[in-house]
Formats: sequence, structure tokens, C-alpha cells
Amino acid sequence: MIREESTDSGSLLQGTLEMLVLKALARGPQHGYAVAEWIHHVSHQLLKVEEGALYPALHRLEMRGFLNAEWGASENNRRAKFYRLTAEGTKRLDAESQRWARLSAAVAFVMQSS
Amino acid sequence: MLPAISAFLGRLRSLFRRRRMESEMSEELEFHRERLREKYLQEGMSEKAAERAARVRLGNAQRWQERLRELWSFRLLGEGVRDIRFALRLFWKSPGFAAVAIATLALGVSANTAVFSLINGLLLRPLPVPNAQQMMVLSYLDDAPRPGYSFCTPFFRGLEEQRDAFQNVFAFVNDTFQVRGESGNVNVHGAMVSGQYFPAMQVNALKGRYLTPADDQEGGSPAGFAVVISEGFWKSWFNGASNVVGKTLTIANTPFTVVGVMPKRFMGADPTRQPEIYAPLSADPIIDAPRDHIHGGTHAWWLTVMARQKPEVDLEKANAVLQSISTSVLRASTGESEWIKDEEKHHFRFAAETGSNGFAYVRSVFRKPLLTMFAMCGGLLLLACLNLASLLLARGAARERELATRRALGATRLRLIRQLMIESFVLATLGTGLGIVLTPFVGHALTAMLSGGSGPDSMVLDISPDWRLYGFAGAIVFIAAVLIGLMPAWRATEGDLNEQIKSGQHAQQRGQTRLIPRLLMISQVALALILVSGAALLATSLIRLYRSGLGFDPHGVVNISFSMDKQQLDGEPLMEVYRQIRERLKTEPGVKDVSFQFIVPLSHRNWNKSYSAGGGEQHLIWMNSVGPDYFKTMRIPLKQGREFIWSDTKASGMKIILNRAAAKLLFPQGGVIGRQIVDHNKSAYEVVAVVEDAKYRDVRGPATAAGYIPMQQDEQEKPSFNAVVRIDGPWAPLVPFSKELAARVAPSIPAPIVRPMDEVVDTSISTERMMALLGVFFAGCSLLVTAIGLYGTLSYATARRSNEIGIRMALGAQRLRVVIMIFRENAVVVAIGCGAGLAVAVALSTILTSFLYETSTRDPWVFAVATITLTCVASAASLLPAMRASWIDPMQAIRSE
Repeated sequence: MIREESTDSGSLLQGTLEMLVLKALARGPQHGYAVAEWIHHVSHQLLKVEEGALYPALHRLEMRGFLNAEWGASENNRRAKFYRLTAEGTKRLDAESQRWARLSAAVAFVMQSS
Repeated sequence: MLPAISAFLGRLRSLFRRRRMESEMSEELEFHRERLREKYLQEGMSEKAAERAARVRLGNAQRWQERLRELWSFRLLGEGVRDIRFALRLFWKSPGFAAVAIATLALGVSANTAVFSLINGLLLRPLPVPNAQQMMVLSYLDDAPRPGYSFCTPFFRGLEEQRDAFQNVFAFVNDTFQVRGESGNVNVHGAMVSGQYFPAMQVNALKGRYLTPADDQEGGSPAGFAVVISEGFWKSWFNGASNVVGKTLTIANTPFTVVGVMPKRFMGADPTRQPEIYAPLSADPIIDAPRDHIHGGTHAWWLTVMARQKPEVDLEKANAVLQSISTSVLRASTGESEWIKDEEKHHFRFAAETGSNGFAYVRSVFRKPLLTMFAMCGGLLLLACLNLASLLLARGAARERELATRRALGATRLRLIRQLMIESFVLATLGTGLGIVLTPFVGHALTAMLSGGSGPDSMVLDISPDWRLYGFAGAIVFIAAVLIGLMPAWRATEGDLNEQIKSGQHAQQRGQTRLIPRLLMISQVALALILVSGAALLATSLIRLYRSGLGFDPHGVVNISFSMDKQQLDGEPLMEVYRQIRERLKTEPGVKDVSFQFIVPLSHRNWNKSYSAGGGEQHLIWMNSVGPDYFKTMRIPLKQGREFIWSDTKASGMKIILNRAAAKLLFPQGGVIGRQIVDHNKSAYEVVAVVEDAKYRDVRGPATAAGYIPMQQDEQEKPSFNAVVRIDGPWAPLVPFSKELAARVAPSIPAPIVRPMDEVVDTSISTERMMALLGVFFAGCSLLVTAIGLYGTLSYATARRSNEIGIRMALGAQRLRVVIMIFRENAVVVAIGCGAGLAVAVALSTILTSFLYETSTRDPWVFAVATITLTCVASAASLLPAMRASWIDPMQAIRSE
């Protein structure tokens, strides 16, 4: 009966993942598996994207108009759902990366202070 | 596009493509799993291990889809459905509360929507024609306070060709047509319309064609007179025959050719009439024979004139154009030059007003009563809502613990308010739904009451629901839900959580928190008192109206109207027919007296004439022509002189009987019998009797000066008289008897209309009757609702105090003390409410002034009775819970803690 939004603690992580997804797609249309692999690879195997977070993030971005989705053939010639950045999505990515830069710099200042 | 909008559209789309989306989701996941498996294989795992690892990593596919699906669906929608279900379950568990709540609302709503549907049908709904907003009603004004809407033929013909501002100018008149059927003539509702009437309406005929200016020529078109009939008449009279066009209808003994059938939705320019037959205006000398309004010049004011404006012309321009031609039309009207000069001096001019909903005379009669009724209905509905709000408030207090627990479990306040609002919304919807189901019954009862039963002038009103009614009902649901629910929801969810859970059921209400429920109850009582005193005023007035004395005794008197104007006989042979009718009627069992009258008193038909006595001043006297024994039949006391007899013929010298008022006016010195009075033609009449005053035109106000002449001396051609029959016992057998009688003595006339005098009297004061009956009904409802409210809130309050009461009693409080203690709570509320209500009621009662007959809007007795009634009902409702509280077993009450 009672169900409240459970956002607070996860919001940073969720927002960050969305940013990473947008970044991954900035190189061109990709399917979900490739997005996860790319992030895993580029982060030197430090970041492992859980499928349980990836797909809801992709769908949420699609729903809000930052991504377009269409079905196409994958590299091994199988039908896969490809996501592509929209103009809105590119704008969003810019805003997010600036925000992230400011945030990480700020965190760095705090952590390096003696 | 904003992300939120994009998300909304996406969700909306997903509603319709659920299947496809789900298969796509599973395909997407399947692809991912496949790639994982391939990757594991490349890393050197065995087929089986790779398969399992991929599966484990992705987890339960079902859960996945659930999550994605949730993302794409409306969370509010799902929760809304759940809340509604929960609300229904709650009501199911407390059926008493739900039933009372729904019934209360349904009562208020059905009264409101019924009155609204009348207002809609009479005042709001536009004519069912294209571009109805272009229709206008024309009138003429002079220095008199009210515009005139009845035109004479010369005025209309002068305007008909006006094309500067109007596409069409047309005229119509409602009438009763005598149509020949298989067994003699039958009366049918009809309208005579000018040539531009149908072109202005722009509604095409269902079959054949409509009437055009070519049909509206003297003597009809070369092919004779044409008529158009309604779809209903086509079905009933011609059995829907497909070859109806070209058939002949015999109206007023003259053949008319049916040239077309109008569709059902077309109902003419007067929404309260709905004619069955439309005939050209120029057929009036035939249809209204022996009268002729067409050639009556400026002495026959019979037409309603309307126009369709040109699209580019506005009301102001139309009025300017009409003003500019007024004088020339007036001068060309062939009226007496003295009259024309007089009219010109008084700024005679034509005017236009919006006529998108046509013209109905009854509008001017019923507008104010209907709006007043509507206000009273609104009051009742408001009362019902306040009542429910206070019940919900009391109930919310009882649900404190449930709500507190839910908040403790993490529900936000907004979420709980939403839930409670949905509960009140469900209540409002159920109540309104039930109310709407009841609406047609209430509406038809009201229309029947207003339209005056079966009388010849009865109005037809289309009160079928349309979008306006549904919109109105929707607004009621919304307003009612907010009125009922918002405050209780707000109140129930505020306060300190800890306190509530700790104190649980026995939270002591603080003084301040009890203020709002009390204010609600006070306004309820005040509102109820306003309704009750309004009803008391109306009812008192109606009773006084009935007691005012008509001057005649209507009980047991029946009017039978014989339409003799279209048959062959006239003069002495026609009188012989009437004499036969009288002799035959006298043989019917139960019939005591039979006479005739030309005008039925209080039927809104009038006839007046000016007389002077001895060269003195002219006086306006209201006239009637009556048969022998008339005053005996009507039980109007004869003060001096004698009744008319059959031998008072034209040859025996003109006779007249005056009522007391007329005698006093003409002969202030007395000595009336045998004296002569003269009319404006210098004809002399001998006064043969003086009778007591009787009401003639209106029940309200004193009787007017009246004179009676013998029916044999009536100057009309082929006069149609009403037989007045005083009968003991039921009058229904007179209907077939008089039909048979007419068929025997005057075979060509339509079946006589039989109408009891009581019904005529009731119809003449139908507005007052409707208002008083509805007022009393509303007052009864408001008393009931208030009683339920007072009883309900007090019951809840005492139930919550049972523990305290138990302790008091255990400590030795008398039962009587407990009763007084509980009773006092409501007594204060009722006292304050009555005071406030009385003040407002006295201030508001002036609205009713114009509906009241010999009743002051400040009548102290009426207000006293209203207050006492309300107080008694309120006391009874409050005493029950108080008594119940005093029967509490102290031991049990304390132990339940």
C-alpha cells in the first residue's frame, strides 16, 4: 500500500551512471552490451556496470528524450537495440560533464586539505 | 521538448503498445545474455558453465521486465486505482456510513441536476439549427417599461424585406389546428410560419421540401396550400408512409398538401412548443376561421418575429438599422393616424436581441422561479456536502491511529491526503451517479407541475441530458469532493505523530481542534434554518392563496370545451345545439347543474369592454358570456335580480349582469337593477342582476370589475362555449360521454377537451405551487440531513469518550448528568446556528417577495415555527447519542482500555 520514492542515497550514483552512458554513446550508436563493455574497458576494469542498473538507465534516458532507440544488426549480425544520442542528449552530456568536473574538483580540494 | 513531457508521451504511447514493448524488452535482454555467454566462452569456460554464469549474472528475467515495465508506466495511475479499491473496501466495511453519505449526496444532486435540466431546456440550450448564434428576436419599444414581442401583420410585412442587417426576417405563431381524421376532427399542435421561416432555420427537410416564400401567398401557391409536418406526426398520423409527400391533410375543412417532413431534431423556433404541422402564415383566414388576423391590420397582435443576422453584422449594427426604419414602418402600418402620432411621440422603435435559443413566452414567466429554485437546490447540496465533511471529520478522528501508523511506516502527508481525497472523490462520484439516475424522474415531475397538466396551452420541454448537464454534473462531483474531503483530510493528517500513537484511541481533543467541526455543524444548522424558513414562507403564502376565496367553488366543476368555429351552424340553430348538449349532460349520473361560459376564469384568456352609466365616465369591465343557471352552477351568490334564461335572446333586448365591484364602479349611489349602461358603440344594456365578486384573471389580488352577458346575445360568429358541469363523484366518465355527445349533435367538431376547474386553478398558480412544494421538499431533506449530521458527529464523539464517561460514572456521576453533558455539546451548536441562520434568512427572504401572496417576508410567526421545528428535530437527533452514552456500563468502558 505504502510506497515512497527511494531516491536519496542512490541519486549520485544514478546520475553518474547516466552521465557515463551518455558519454559512451557520444562516440556513436551502440547497444547496451557494448555500452557496459566500453565503460568497463575504458575505466581500466575499475568500473563494472551492473545490468540491473544499466538497462533502467538506458530506458529512462530514452523515455526522457535524451536517447533514440532503433533496432539494427550487431557486429555478429544479430538483431540488437541500438541507442543514439539526440541533440537534447548531447546538451545533457555537456552539462553533466561540467557539473562532474566541478564536483570532483571540489571533492579533491576537500580531501587534499590538511 | 522538455524531458518531463517527452517522458509523459512515452508512457502514454507505451499504454497502447504494451505487447510490443514487452517482447522488445525480452529480446534486448536475451541479446545481452547471449553476448555475455559468448564472452565467457572466449574466456575459456565450458559451454555449460558459460551458460550458467550468464544466467546468474542477469538474474531473474521476470524481475527485470517488471522493473522496466514499471519505469514505463504511470505510477500515479496504478496508485490511483489502488486507492480507489481501498476506498471502496472501506465503504464496504462501514455500509451504514456509506449509504447515508451517498443517499445524502444523491438527494442534493438529483434536485440540482433536475432543476438544471429545466433551466438548460428552457433558458440555455440553443436552437438545433446551424449557426444558432446568428438568430435574433425582434421587439418594439416605446416609453413603456417593457418591450413588446407580439407584432401585427403590417409591422412584420414592413420588416420582412429588410436585408441591410439580416439574411432573413421571419414570423411565426403557435396555434391549434383542426385536422380531419378517420372519426371527425382532431386538435393538433401546429404553427403558422412566414415564407422566410424555413430558409432562416437552414434545416433541410427529411423528405420532400420545406415551405418557401412562394407558399406564403394569399390563397397559397398555384397548387393550393402546402404544409410541412414533423417526423413524429409523419410516423403517428401517416404510419411513416414513404409516399407521404403529395398526400392531403384536411385542416379546418380545407385541403392542404403535405410537401415535406421535418427531421425529429428540428423543433421550431419556440423550444417549448414543438409543432406537429407547419402551415404558411397566409393560411390564417382558413385555419383561424372565422377570425382573420392577416387582415386585422393594427388590431391583431399575434406574431412573434425573429431574424437571422448577416454574419458580418453585430447586434449594435442591427439595432441601428432597425431604429432607422422604425418610423417609416410605423407610418406605413395603416393604423389610425392618432395612434401613430402618439407612438411617435413616445419614441417608438424596433429593436433586436440575441435569440440563439429561440423565443418562448414561458421564459419570462419561469426564469425567476427557476433560478430561485436553483439557488435553493444549491443550498441543499451545500448542506449535504457540509454534512458529509463533518461526518468524515468525525470519522477521520476515529481513524487517527490507522493514519498515524501509516505515517510512521513512511507514508508522506501528501500521500495520505491524496488517499483521503480519493475516498471523498469516490463518495462524490457514487452520490452524483445515483443522483443523475434519479434526475429524469424528478425533472419530469417538475415539468408536469410547471406545464399545467393537459391544458391546451401546456408546454413541451425537452429536458433530455446533453453535454451541458454532464458538464454540470462533473463540476458537482469535483466541487463536492473538494468540499467534502479536503478539510477532513488536512485535519486528519496533521498533528504530532508520537502523541497520536501513544494516546491511541483516547487522544483528548483540545479546544482549538474542536472549533472547525463545530463551525461546520453551525453552518449546517444555519443553512437548514434558511431553507426551512424559506419553505415556510412559500407554503404559508400558498395556503393563504388557496384560502383567499375565488368567489366561486371550483371543486366538482368540470369544463368541457366545444370548438364550434369550424362547423356549419350559427345563430339560433347553434344555440339549439348548445341547449341539446345541456339537456343530455343533465341526464348523466351525478351531474347536478349544467351551464356555459365563454371564458374559463383564471385560464389566462381575457376579454374586456368599456361601459358607462348615465353619461358618466367610461369604465373597463372584464367580460364573459354565460348560459342560464351559470351562477348557480359556479356557486357565485346572486345578490339581487335573476339569472339569465333561454328566452334572453337578441330580440328580447340586451341584458347584462354585473358583479359587485362593477356595480359599485358604475353606480356608486346604488339602485342598480333595471338601469341601463352603454358601451362605446352607444348600445344599451339592461342590468338584470348583481352577483358577488369572483376572481377572473388572476388569483392574486382582489377580484376585478366583471360583467356577464347571456350567451345567446354574444356577438361573435360561431362562438365556442365551455360547458360548465357541477358533478358529484368522479368526472372521468364525462370524457367518453361528451365525445359521444359531440359526435351526435355536431359531428364535425373535434373531441371536446374536458378539464376540471381545480386543475385550471392549480395551473394558474403553478409557479407558486412548484416553489412551495419543492421548498417544503427541500426543507424536509435539509432537516433530515441536519439530523443525520448532528446524530452522526455526536455519536462518533461520544464513542471516543466512552472511557472518560465510564470513569465519570464510576466516580458517581448520575445518568441524567451524563445525558445533559453530552446533549449540551450539540445544544450550543444548534443555538448559535439558529441565531446565525435566522439573521441570514431574514436578510435573504426579500428575494422571495415577488412570489409571496399576502405574506410578509418578515412574518415573525413563520420564522418562529421554522426555528422551533428545526430545534425539535435537532434535539431529537442529539438526544439519542446522549441517552446511549448514559447506558454505558462503567466497568466495561474502563476495562476496554
